[in-house]
Amino acid sequence: MNTFDLLMLGFSEAMTPANLGFCLIGALLGTLIGVLPGIGPTATIAVLLPITFFLPPLAGIIMLAGIYYGAQYGGSTTAILVNLPGEASAVVTTLDGYQMAQQGRAGAALAVAALGSFFAGTVATFGIAIAGPMLSSFALDFGPAEYVSLMLFGLLAATILASGPVLKAIGMILIGLLFGMVGTDQATGAERLTFGSIDLFDGIEFTVIAIGLFGFTEIITNLERSGSEGVKVAPLTRLWPTREDFRRAWPAVLRGTGIGTFLGILPGGGATLASFSSYSLEKKVSKNPRAFGHGAVEGVAAPEAANNAAAQSSFIPLLTLGIPSNNMMAMMLSAFMIHGITPGPTVLTNQPEIFWGLVASMWIGNLLLVVINLPLIGLWVRLLTVPYRLLYPAILLFCCVGIYSINNRIFDVLLAAGFGLLGYIFRKAKCEPGPLLLGFVLGPLLEANLRRALLISQGDASVFIERPISLTMLIATVVLLALMILPSFRKKREEAFQEEEA
Amino acid sequence: MKHLKTLSLAAALTASAAGMAHADWPTDRPIELIVAFAPGGGTDVMLRTLAPYLEAELDAQFPVLNRPGAAGEITYTALAQARPDGYTVSSLNTPGFLTMQIERKLRFEPSEICPIARIVEDPGLFVVPANSEFKSLTDLVAYAKEHPGAVSIGTTGVGTDEHLAMLQLERSAGVDLTAVPFTGSNDAKTALLGGHISAIGLNAGEYATADHNSMRAIGQFSEERSILAKDLPTAKEQGYDVIISSERGLAARCEVPEEIRARLADAVDKALANPEFQAQAAKQSVPLSFQSGADWQAAMPARLERYRSIFALMKEGQ
Repeated sequence: MNTFDLLMLGFSEAMTPANLGFCLIGALLGTLIGVLPGIGPTATIAVLLPITFFLPPLAGIIMLAGIYYGAQYGGSTTAILVNLPGEASAVVTTLDGYQMAQQGRAGAALAVAALGSFFAGTVATFGIAIAGPMLSSFALDFGPAEYVSLMLFGLLAATILASGPVLKAIGMILIGLLFGMVGTDQATGAERLTFGSIDLFDGIEFTVIAIGLFGFTEIITNLERSGSEGVKVAPLTRLWPTREDFRRAWPAVLRGTGIGTFLGILPGGGATLASFSSYSLEKKVSKNPRAFGHGAVEGVAAPEAANNAAAQSSFIPLLTLGIPSNNMMAMMLSAFMIHGITPGPTVLTNQPEIFWGLVASMWIGNLLLVVINLPLIGLWVRLLTVPYRLLYPAILLFCCVGIYSINNRIFDVLLAAGFGLLGYIFRKAKCEPGPLLLGFVLGPLLEANLRRALLISQGDASVFIERPISLTMLIATVVLLALMILPSFRKKREEAFQEEEA
Repeated sequence: MKHLKTLSLAAALTASAAGMAHADWPTDRPIELIVAFAPGGGTDVMLRTLAPYLEAELDAQFPVLNRPGAAGEITYTALAQARPDGYTVSSLNTPGFLTMQIERKLRFEPSEICPIARIVEDPGLFVVPANSEFKSLTDLVAYAKEHPGAVSIGTTGVGTDEHLAMLQLERSAGVDLTAVPFTGSNDAKTALLGGHISAIGLNAGEYATADHNSMRAIGQFSEERSILAKDLPTAKEQGYDVIISSERGLAARCEVPEEIRARLADAVDKALANPEFQAQAAKQSVPLSFQSGADWQAAMPARLERYRSIFALMKEGQ
């Protein structure tokens, strides 16, 4: 059977009424938990996992997958409307998405995010179908040394996210690295920066730091404004993006899709790296980089496309090699194993209906998500006209519930409140929290892989330049660094941000 | 006789008075089940499969919470600091629980943690990529003799069973290997398939569910060949004294009332006898092996001594 026949087999499996129903349930549930800050797909799937015992294997897996990519859609909604990234990959969406909402273009931002995600999801789904096995072997070439170089590049590129001085951005990354170190050292069991507190034993949860720095800070900042009227948005002229928006968004979506599909297959921070790499790229190729951070439609389209493509393509290593690339995929692996299916090449040949049924259901699920989300845009946008005094206490409540539910600990809620205050100070000092979050996410990965790389090479650091992929990325890092130090570039960059200061 | 009756009545009264404090157990709150490993690993999948059966037995909820890292110390410390009300139980894994007592300064007092029941005993084995030149432990040892330190073994941390297997092999064969710690066996498998490390330690159960076209086991570390890997020679057959198996079960604080621990152990025993659970365990290649908490605890000191000697010899060799 060729790919086309197999895909048809997949569609015939995925289109059965029961499987369509479970796909819809998963997508709806995913959208819901994505919109609610703090409640992530990993927790939801862990809770629902035992239920799948009683479902046919494909139906259960289709539903769980639906939750996963549904949450990616839902997460962008809160990022755009209330400046709250639900997970690491949505951090960059807040930069321009929230600005667009402030300018009365929330509808356009949500529509671009939904359509961009749909397009990216479609491409990535067919990417899995056609090139899955080939791409997965590439992911395996990424060893510890390659990750070290990739993370270094990522950390440096994170400075591009900020629109202030480079030095401040680097400072924020370093603070992020410091927060990432809190907890027990995985290799030796030694405690770092826990101050003897058992609550810091596991380090700081991403959600705690993200909701604190973005959500709480936003609310505190808004308290400064007088009165309790709704967000001062420009009059809502239209819900739908303009033709100009589409013209600017589609190349960004294309690039985002490519980066997302590619980086999504890498284990670890794939989706996160994908969304902010694509944002950095857009800012680099744009003729008008100063628009970024002020509601540039490309700044929403590219990372949204990238993180959705990455969400899909992270299934590639799981389905073709049986290797989960993140916690979510580890959950999916458990779901497979509960039904006695071991994902890997043998499933592709012996149970093609499982693999292709899932691939087809992902495309159907993405279609369902657009259908669910587009009519809802009007409703979401109207949320912004709700007065602060009603909207913000509600957001605060959802945030607290979400944070508490991660570990059932009040400590996390207090910690998030502390980060809220810290975020407020950062905002007053004109330091942006985006680079801090990326330092926080990438730092621990960098450290663990640096150790592994040096253990394997028996302390020989030349391993980083001897391996071609690693060397390429190191060169890219050096080039980026040189560009930042060179006076002409610096001048241009400062010029770009001069206007905002004025 | 009457005297005896009074005594037993008094005992019953005392017991019920003690019972008052936890009369509602286990129905008024969910019982947190802390798993010391990342989602998707052998212990995690086994306990997630078991949880619904425990829920049915005790009519209580068992939410699973993963707190991976430091070979389980994070979980045991969390357990030791939880209130001793029977609403927090954790996974208990040997040899990790025992070996961490040897060299590390711990945040918890091991004697405060009491096993509830052993559920699984799963021998360790070494796995290499399918295209590796190592066909047996003998090949691996021969290469390591010529290239000290060049053979890297993926483990899931200091004092875990993979690490101990490696130490025993080093001692028995007189070679020098390099341990590379990973966050979980899935990460280690990925690095193995990419050819970044020479071999990884896995349990027979984990290997049985892995894809055998891409990786190959070269020796198992049990006294006799496991039912899960009948064709695989043991280390002893290949001439190396390496014995390691991973035992997995549940534990609670010793201060948790005896009665509650007994009910938990009973629920585990009944769940393990459930044919439906057994069928699911078989699908996942989990070698079930129930042992009561008391028996398991009694067997631990001897094992601890064995590991102590391995560590001592390792230090001597340095």
